[in-house]
Amino acid sequence: MRIDAYILEHARKTPHQIALEEGKRSISYSCLDEDINIVASSLSDFDHCKFAILAESGIQYIKILMAVYRSGNIAIPLPIELPGLSLERILDSACINNIIATKKLYSRFGDGFFERFGTVIVVSDNTAVEALSKRVILERNDPELRLVLYTSGTTGTPKGVMLSDKNLVSNARSITEVLSLTSKDKAALVISPHHAFGNSIINSHIMAGSSISIGTMNFIGPVFSLIESGVSIFYGVPSTYRILLKYPERFKKAFTNVRTAASAGGAMDRVIVRAIKEFSPNTEILPMYGQTEATARLAYLPSEDVDEFIDTIGKAIPGVTLDVFDSENWPLEPGITGELVAKGDNILLGYLNDDAATEKIIIDGWLHTGDLAQKLQGGYIRLLGRKDDLIKVGDHRVNPREVEKEIEMNNEVSNVFVVPVSHELMGNAISLMVIPNQETDVEKIFAFCRKNLPGYLYPREILFIDHLPLSENGKISNRSIIEEYQHVKASM
Amino acid sequence: MEQIKNDILDYLKNNSFMEREKTIDDSDSLTQNGILDSIGLLELIDYICERYSIEIPEDMLTPENFDSLRGITNLITRLAK
Repeated sequence: MRIDAYILEHARKTPHQIALEEGKRSISYSCLDEDINIVASSLSDFDHCKFAILAESGIQYIKILMAVYRSGNIAIPLPIELPGLSLERILDSACINNIIATKKLYSRFGDGFFERFGTVIVVSDNTAVEALSKRVILERNDPELRLVLYTSGTTGTPKGVMLSDKNLVSNARSITEVLSLTSKDKAALVISPHHAFGNSIINSHIMAGSSISIGTMNFIGPVFSLIESGVSIFYGVPSTYRILLKYPERFKKAFTNVRTAASAGGAMDRVIVRAIKEFSPNTEILPMYGQTEATARLAYLPSEDVDEFIDTIGKAIPGVTLDVFDSENWPLEPGITGELVAKGDNILLGYLNDDAATEKIIIDGWLHTGDLAQKLQGGYIRLLGRKDDLIKVGDHRVNPREVEKEIEMNNEVSNVFVVPVSHELMGNAISLMVIPNQETDVEKIFAFCRKNLPGYLYPREILFIDHLPLSENGKISNRSIIEEYQHVKASM
Repeated sequence: MEQIKNDILDYLKNNSFMEREKTIDDSDSLTQNGILDSIGLLELIDYICERYSIEIPEDMLTPENFDSLRGITNLITRLAK
């Protein structure tokens, strides 16, 4: 079954049930189903072709996504928070001929951006569909491919995670079970729908036949009003909760009737958990763990264990097997550190146009997460950092070495080092340490970052250093960079 | 009014994703033009509260008040009285 088929099913059984809300607008399952058919009919000449989707979060985004599914094509949602250059990099590496855009984003990106596409379809607010150009090109894609989500692509080589109908449906089913979702629930979707977490909220609530209220985190007033409109499940990354908790009085009022505060995308710390419990004692807290390569979710921490086990990722969701392997892919005993691996129907098909990367991550059917972990007694799992140098910045997974290379290649500097620094709301932000040359201009580096990197990677400060931040055995790693940074700060 | 507007504009040029040479109209959307994101907005709010010694109730943290130079300038003028 495809995800959009659940909408058809609910349109038949509960046609008047509200499916989606956005500000003052809402749409029932039956109207949503009809609108999806309208958009899908404009794609009927295409057979399993890739369609980039350029749409801001909202009802129109979900209509377009489901229409691509329904027409039997492949959706590639573009993460619109990235600067234009990063989007072009994604489009180049994915070889995309077709794009569907909302009218609003079409005018924001301008005609020039769309010249590269053979097919350009624009969907207006009232779901009038207009094909500005149309060129059907036969494509040979993985027969199971339905959706490509980008995990990185800000800098360096974009990685497109290929997902199938089976991936999407099985993960949505697991999440529906863990959260006990029913048609009476109403979800708050205030994070980006173009990434795995937001996408999983859409899929699981559509499967359950419940409603989704869509907003953004930009303006706090409307976010709290959205929650107060009868939301039963709120979803956020840790920084979402940190932002909301800045307003304790309003938080108390808004969360009174929220049954579950779910999280993913990064570790919830005790400070956040304690604050939610204090301000809204009747709300259960449900931290979840996953990655795009697993469609979205791999593990969850049952809310009754949040106090005792908040420093763990909990246990596998239904349908997923987790284990910890040594470097030769043998399972390890509890208490011994290795790499967290996962098996289940939610594991990706592979990376788009990148067989080498796929072979490294899926070995004998096991997804290698890159997270170092230990099994605990009782099936719980504790994470202990990364196997590689990836870091979390504002709850986004970032490769600091790629960011450094990007800045070095485009600025007058000898070397650049990215330092994760703690940030009140984002958890982590970054600072830069720079070994300058004679032409180095700090203002120009700031200006470059402002224009070419997403907001969460804008450096908090740029410090000059005069030697490489080497460790005792002569290597550069996150650890040696952080140590050097602490040293520099201490001597300032 | 003009003084407040220039002050906010200076802040944006130094602390947001706005390019220095760029000009914006008083009614242009700061979020849709990529000048501020949600974290940037909160930092701007902190700055305004401190700079003008005012408190802004959560109910007023809306696009009408914060998504444009005009909205922000009007809000400060109203609250700073």
